[in-house]
Amino acid sequence: MATPPTLPESVQRLVATRSPGGDVRIAAPSDLGPTGLLGERWLVLAGDRVLVCAADGAEADLLLDLPLSDISEVEVENLVGGAALRAVVKGRKVDLLSFTNALGDRFGRVRAQLDAAAKGKPIPEREEKVKRCPTCGLVLGEDSRVCPRCARRGAALRRLLGYSRPYRGRLVLIGVLMLSGTAFGLVPPYLTGVLVDRVLVPKKNVHLLAWLVMGLAGSSVLSTGLQIWRGRVTAWLGGRVSFDIRAALYERLQWLSLRYFDRHTTGALISRITQDSGGVQDLLAFGLPWIITNLATVIGVSVMILIINWKLAVLALIPAPLVSLVTRSLWNKMRAAFHNFWYRWGRFHGLVNDALNRVKVIKAFSQQPVEIQRYQVRNLDLLDASVYAEQTWGTIFPLVWLVMGSGSLLVWYFGGLFTVHGDLTVGKLMAFLAYLGMLYGPLNFLTQVTQWMSRALTAAERIFEVLDAESDSEQTKGEVVPEQIHGEVEYRNVTFGYEKHQPVVKEVSFKTAPGHMLGLVGKSGAGKTTIINLLCRFYDADEGEIYVDGINLRDLSLWAYRGRLGAVLQEPFLFAATIAENIAYGKPEASLEEIMAAAKLANAHDFIVNKPDGYDEQAGERGGRLSAGEKQRICIARAILHDPAILILDEATANVDLETEEQIQQAIARLVEGRTTFAIAHRLSTLRNADNLLVIDDGKIVEFGSHAELEAKKGVYYNLLDLHRKTSLVKAVSG
Amino acid sequence: MADHDPGQPKDPPALRYLEPEQVKIYRAEDGSLRATIGEELSVLSPRFVRVCPLTDPDRYISIRGDDPHGKEFGLLKSWRRLDPEARRLVEAELERRYLHPRVKRIVSLKDYHGVQLCVLETDRGVRDVTLRDVRDNIIYFGGTRVLITDAEGNRYDVPDTNALDRRSRALLARIL
Repeated sequence: MATPPTLPESVQRLVATRSPGGDVRIAAPSDLGPTGLLGERWLVLAGDRVLVCAADGAEADLLLDLPLSDISEVEVENLVGGAALRAVVKGRKVDLLSFTNALGDRFGRVRAQLDAAAKGKPIPEREEKVKRCPTCGLVLGEDSRVCPRCARRGAALRRLLGYSRPYRGRLVLIGVLMLSGTAFGLVPPYLTGVLVDRVLVPKKNVHLLAWLVMGLAGSSVLSTGLQIWRGRVTAWLGGRVSFDIRAALYERLQWLSLRYFDRHTTGALISRITQDSGGVQDLLAFGLPWIITNLATVIGVSVMILIINWKLAVLALIPAPLVSLVTRSLWNKMRAAFHNFWYRWGRFHGLVNDALNRVKVIKAFSQQPVEIQRYQVRNLDLLDASVYAEQTWGTIFPLVWLVMGSGSLLVWYFGGLFTVHGDLTVGKLMAFLAYLGMLYGPLNFLTQVTQWMSRALTAAERIFEVLDAESDSEQTKGEVVPEQIHGEVEYRNVTFGYEKHQPVVKEVSFKTAPGHMLGLVGKSGAGKTTIINLLCRFYDADEGEIYVDGINLRDLSLWAYRGRLGAVLQEPFLFAATIAENIAYGKPEASLEEIMAAAKLANAHDFIVNKPDGYDEQAGERGGRLSAGEKQRICIARAILHDPAILILDEATANVDLETEEQIQQAIARLVEGRTTFAIAHRLSTLRNADNLLVIDDGKIVEFGSHAELEAKKGVYYNLLDLHRKTSLVKAVSG
Repeated sequence: MADHDPGQPKDPPALRYLEPEQVKIYRAEDGSLRATIGEELSVLSPRFVRVCPLTDPDRYISIRGDDPHGKEFGLLKSWRRLDPEARRLVEAELERRYLHPRVKRIVSLKDYHGVQLCVLETDRGVRDVTLRDVRDNIIYFGGTRVLITDAEGNRYDVPDTNALDRRSRALLARIL
């Protein structure tokens, strides 16, 4: 927020009486009243008193008045559809006020400020993220400031056409081809008219017949030739431009910040690359040329019929607006029917997919009859929708043609009169009718254009939204490129939350020496992975700093730093490539000898050579023949070859046999040696080998020390260890 | 299991590379294959396994013990420099192990509802081949090399699609 919200007068008066002379340090309005109905409540920190009051009437009602010194901590409790700000007052939790999700960001900031004030720290100033469109107030996507309502469609179209700028020459060629093709298309009806008037009606001038037919043939051939040429050039251009857009889009996706990926499902992003860019290609390769040729045809035909007989032309065009209106409403009805059909088709598809995926569960619970019943219901739904859609189509389509033909009825009648009275020749009437036939098709098409264009341009805008989203490289990018990274890591009072008002890591401070191994221990959801994510600089800490070799992580060049960072993750991920390529992923220039040496250290060499294709064996999606243990060892070999200074080890608790387990542990021990390692540890052996252990609970460090120290302390770690031993015992007995 | 501590490895394992001069390969009097490595090791019925059978088949040959999980005795460099008798033995073993017919020409290809019957002329003779779900059973190597796996799991290598004749290329394009 640029300016602090101004207090209503009633609240000001109340504040003045409760805290005379106290200056207002925090003031924030909530959008929920005390009864949970929508209304206004104010939280004010004036002097050393925290006041909450309702400000709906002329006089503000005081709801709460607390001395700041009583508050030890302030937190946000996430509710459904909203959240509440709570203060810990003498060990008791007191609700200050609640608010809807719309204000989540604002009160996240208020929480931090009030918390700081209660702890006697300076109140942090923080910018509220712009989440609403400044012009219309529409809520925007988190990473994009393009307002879908206000963005000018014209701007999107211009930007899209901007992509065809490198191919300007071809663009001009297409224009010329389109116009000349349309012009040649206008010749045949004219020649037919001449043929009727000069040859057929007077039954003479037979020598002209051959020439006229040749003219007809010639213009048809020429117009077809031009059409083919144009089609080929536009296809090339459309394809090329959407290729460029896809390339830009994919490159952008690679650099987008992780926060963006947190908020968008993979499916939605895939659809942007495939469907939206396909939509744009349709627009460029087929849509725009169509629109332009149809427009040119409409104009050319109009001119021709005006030349032939302007009175008749006016008569023929009178019903045109009416026809447009009627056809448009008919089309809309039909589109709705088909939308409904496709929507139900999607749901039907989902049901089948779901049922086939859990076929074992269905059988185990003998629920086949229920499933068949469910299927039947959807199937009937689909039947209804498809019959309705097809019947609507079958009815409306002929009707549209009937309405469109109405103009020619007028022409037949009045044109007939003109001809009988000698104002018009038969040939001209024929030509006129032929032109009219050419007119209605494009006219009808043009009524669809707005609809169709807006859909394609929305696709274009969705693409631009990705292109405009915040990327890694836009984060404050460090400049320092150290010669070497030794791997001394220090966290100083680091606080971070994926949602700002909900910190997941709270004031974490610790230091680890280069080459040491630090084990992170804690329940799932305690914040271990988040601490690692911050080390990888996938996210920046909200408060506090992280230092690597004494350099603030924000100042380090991200590129150089990540190059010295390696990870072996819980889920061994292999790319669709050969095993050798997978091992060399972090060092593509590695020689076969280096790859084999790394594989040998990872206890992977022998099983790889025993594969039918050895190091050329395909891994990844089609690497079904690799077991979990094998995949893990390939990932370890990849990390060994990459030779990172700082290693992240997210141990897998995979179900592998004892021998493989031992092989993996050996490999990990070789990998870890001499590197600063952050291990999310599950194995006792790793915990024991770690130089220090960081025991985390609810985002805070609860214990820090070596295995032996913590075991002797008999605290949280000791209990965890105890639990671990018992479950291991169970596993050992049962497994 | 978890309480077993593998500890820090004192001696990280290394690969053993072998020059052709260090290796002797011969048939013993009883007819069995033998390999002698250096002065110290004699391997009975060694297996010769290509490390990169597809991308660089002759670079390294792993000399391994007889059983499927047999130990590796060393990685033999440039085996073609072995003495002629040994080379012949290794070559025969490799020929036996790697059945990778190379496609020289595609004689015909017919499509029956997603199943393709084709006749391939390979360096091991002409074969009738049935392909199913071809698009899932084709591996691309670099730009022009493809490996096609047929419905029975046999593999056919097209080392360079551009080297095929025009008609073969046109037929191949229908399934790629």
